Amino acid sequence: MKLLLIEDEKALATSIQNYFQRENFICEWAADYRTAVEKINIYRYDCVLVDLMLPDGDGLDAVRELKRNFPDTGIIIISAKNSLDDRITGLNLGSDDYLTKPFHLSELNARVQAVIRRRSFQGSQQIRFGKIQIDPQEHLVLVDQQEIVLTRKEYDLLVYLIANKNRVLTKESIAEHLWGDDADLMDNFDFIYTHIKNLRKKLMDKGCPDYLKSIYGVGYKFSEQ
Amino acid sequence: MKLLERILKYQIITSLCVLTLGAILFYFSVNYLINQEVNKELMHSRAKVSWQLRHIDELPVYILQLGDSLQLDPVRYPSKMALVERKLFNAFENEYQPYRQLIFYERVEGIWYRVTISKLLDQRQQLLEAVVMTVTFIVALLLISLLLLNSWLSRRLWQPFYKTLRSLDSYQVEKHEVLTFSKQPTVEFEQLNQSVTQFTDRLAATYQNLKEFTENASHEIQTPLAVILSKIEGLFQDESLKESQLVALSEISEAANRLAKLNQALLLLTKIENRQFLAGTEPISLVPIINRKLRDLEDLIEQREITVQTAIEPTGPVMHPALAEVLVNNLLTNAIRYNVNGGTIDITLHAGKLVVRNTGVPIHIDPELMFERFRKEGTHSASLGLGLALAKTICQVNGQTLTYETDGPWHILTVTWP
Repeated sequence: MKLLLIEDEKALATSIQNYFQRENFICEWAADYRTAVEKINIYRYDCVLVDLMLPDGDGLDAVRELKRNFPDTGIIIISAKNSLDDRITGLNLGSDDYLTKPFHLSELNARVQAVIRRRSFQGSQQIRFGKIQIDPQEHLVLVDQQEIVLTRKEYDLLVYLIANKNRVLTKESIAEHLWGDDADLMDNFDFIYTHIKNLRKKLMDKGCPDYLKSIYGVGYKFSEQ
Repeated sequence: MKLLERILKYQIITSLCVLTLGAILFYFSVNYLINQEVNKELMHSRAKVSWQLRHIDELPVYILQLGDSLQLDPVRYPSKMALVERKLFNAFENEYQPYRQLIFYERVEGIWYRVTISKLLDQRQQLLEAVVMTVTFIVALLLISLLLLNSWLSRRLWQPFYKTLRSLDSYQVEKHEVLTFSKQPTVEFEQLNQSVTQFTDRLAATYQNLKEFTENASHEIQTPLAVILSKIEGLFQDESLKESQLVALSEISEAANRLAKLNQALLLLTKIENRQFLAGTEPISLVPIINRKLRDLEDLIEQREITVQTAIEPTGPVMHPALAEVLVNNLLTNAIRYNVNGGTIDITLHAGKLVVRNTGVPIHIDPELMFERFRKEGTHSASLGLGLALAKTICQVNGQTLTYETDGPWHILTVTWP
């Protein structure tokens, strides 16, 4: 998978690049609008991450350029602007998602994977991890071909964990992924633990190994080892 | 009271005073002249009567003019001549009428006579009537003309003023408009219009600056925060870190997350206060928003074993849909956060009123203080303390009222709108 990151903040760009490199994605970086347009017109990307405020131009123009020339490319806007107008304009122009800074890299990763999955062909839409197989369109989860019934939150949690497999996920990032702005309603993260516990139990009941590891004081990690 | 009405009031008071004074003055001066005339006539009569008495001994009937009367009474001693005024009964008119009498003494053939000449003063009464009538007529005429003039003035001369007022009334700074007007022949109105134009011009510029500043400030703060958070997340993946370091990192991450949320909430608050969310014209129904929100919060509600009761009708205030979301969201999350485990939330929505009641720990301060920014009762560290301040601000800019009452274990938040 090939990504293009259009972001003027070098430190943030490096973090994002490092994060996706671990995912074995090729993540190219354009620090300004001019470079971004050059790259867009030369190479093909699966997904482009666009910051709206660039030193020499408006990220929305880059979105327009992409939509005109390569309508199949997934686009995610990452912006510090949380204004409703920009969000609506961005989504109307055909971007697939809009993420407000600051965000969790794990959240960005999950969104990128979702966009790529939606844009790819039927066959590769399936999510596989170890014994787990997920059909995102049907919201169907199979373990060794047996269906398991998950609640909406448990399903979201599982998809999120798989998208960020082999990584340490903080409790805040999980809470925010599942409850968005309501995440701060939870005075402690026991609540996540309930969901994690239920999910783990359902998976293990169907014969899944214990993929979920708890990392003391931080959060969780989903991995096969 | 309209300016023209106030001017009219003073005009009327002044004219009434002037006219009354004028009437009084007029009355006295004419009365004085009449008195002089009457006195002169009485003196003439006296001269005639004296002459007749001395030379003819007998008074001819025609000697006095009609309306005057003459009376002769023999007296023992003469006295001083006197002019008196008294009311006498007039049998013909069947009423008392004012007379002026000249009393003097004349000696005829050794006998003193008191001679009284009475003159009817009916001119004075007529004069009074004439004066009152004239003044009343002038006052009525003045009133009518002033009223007519005023309505004409307000239609014609004051038209540009009302036009300016109307455009100021409907002025919304969020639209960045500058009010401009056509040239006016009236100096004051032209000055007013110019001032309004300059004022709105400055206002629009300042507003634009402020908006850009808040947006930029938010951007400038969010970016370093994004860097911090992304670096922390990168560090978490470093397997060589010790547990204690991970815990510290986790705490840093939590604080940075909180800072980011705080910044976003403050930004939203500023935006609402700057009225960047304009209400539409149609009321929006809160029902779908409440239902969606309750669905989103479902598992939180279940986990805390809270019972939710709703009695809602499809109605709602006129407001920006995004603000309605924030308002409902903040009221409901507040009702959950400050609830007790196993508590209750009552949501009632009827025409003009949304009430969210929840059970909770009693508070010991004035409930209205809960609307202050960063005010928290107890130690809910996850709360930013901005939820109710946001809700209050939303209501304020949209013309709704938000009240907070407590009733035993119940906390009652009520939104009312016209």
